[in-house]
Amino acid sequence: MITDSLDVSPEAFAAGTGWDIKPEGACKGEVCVPLPDGYSAAHAADRLGMAMVTDEASGLTAFGPESLGGRALTTAQAPEVILPDLDGNEFHLSSLRGKKVVVVAWAPY
Amino acid sequence: MHEELSPLGLTVVTVSLELSDPEASRPFIEAASPTHPSLLDPRHQLDALFGVVNIPNVVWIDEDGVIVRPAEPGWPPGDDYPDWLRSYLDDRDATIAAKAAEVEATDPELAARMRGGQDRNAYPDAIRDWARNGAASEFAMTPDQVVAASTGRSPDESAGAAHFELANHLWTAGDRDAAIPHFNQAHRLQPDNWTYKRQAWSLVGNENAGGGELGRFNQGPLPGAEDDWPFDGNFAAESAATPAGDYYPKTL
Repeated sequence: MITDSLDVSPEAFAAGTGWDIKPEGACKGEVCVPLPDGYSAAHAADRLGMAMVTDEASGLTAFGPESLGGRALTTAQAPEVILPDLDGNEFHLSSLRGKKVVVVAWAPY
Repeated sequence: MHEELSPLGLTVVTVSLELSDPEASRPFIEAASPTHPSLLDPRHQLDALFGVVNIPNVVWIDEDGVIVRPAEPGWPPGDDYPDWLRSYLDDRDATIAAKAAEVEATDPELAARMRGGQDRNAYPDAIRDWARNGAASEFAMTPDQVVAASTGRSPDESAGAAHFELANHLWTAGDRDAAIPHFNQAHRLQPDNWTYKRQAWSLVGNENAGGGELGRFNQGPLPGAEDDWPFDGNFAAESAATPAGDYYPKTL
């Protein structure tokens, strides 16, 4: 998630990181991490092990992904991913529920 | 593979990790003329969300949206490449095969190490087994196994991803000089992430080559222009220093 202000709404935090802000804390799948100081983007990032890196010249800050438990995944529940096709049409990975899905990452290099 | 297994309720989704113009991916997608979803991920979201660190990397997700194999090197059967790339790869494979035969004869221990890593030929059969047997397949993991087997991520590696996102954003906005230091930081903090490296190397390599069909496969300095190369590493040097078993780690 990239932002020019640390005043990130809970909705924007969820859209940018996949972590929903709920009364019990920051939640993804079945995992909830309490936010004892209440919600702020910086506190949630700290609790989730997300690095915050600021580019001084542009004033932009990027939040890295969570590093809870030392693994890329904290839950086996697949995150929502919304990506375009070549024609710019958005595709929701969750639209494939009910099928087995093999996601293949590749690149033209 | 998609056409073979879709009657069993399996779909393939291909995702191109390329931050530049979608046109960079178009010739490959059109050569394959896929009947499955074929998507673009210019921000490398799959790296952050699933722990993808190289290409090809594959993730299996079941009917309920539960990951049953985390990101790992994998090859669906059959390559559908553009003709010009097929020819390039055939030439390269012949060179690699000749080199491997030479190493086999002179340094059997090194040869054994180079043969390590994921078994390309067995991978499609693992997918077929899961398509037929679902959760009963020996290749389907439990949720706890999936989390434990997912790519490692330390706070430093989270910072590497943040630097990559800044680099990606700045490059895309046309601020090339501001992007380069963030690419280098991403590479230092996530040294095992080859998509972060190859993405950056290929952007500048493509510029140096003046574009063209194979421009993005230039992932190092031009001879004699080493001082102009803005990155700490390059593909030839780093891949030569990496045992084959580490480049595509064995997970099956």
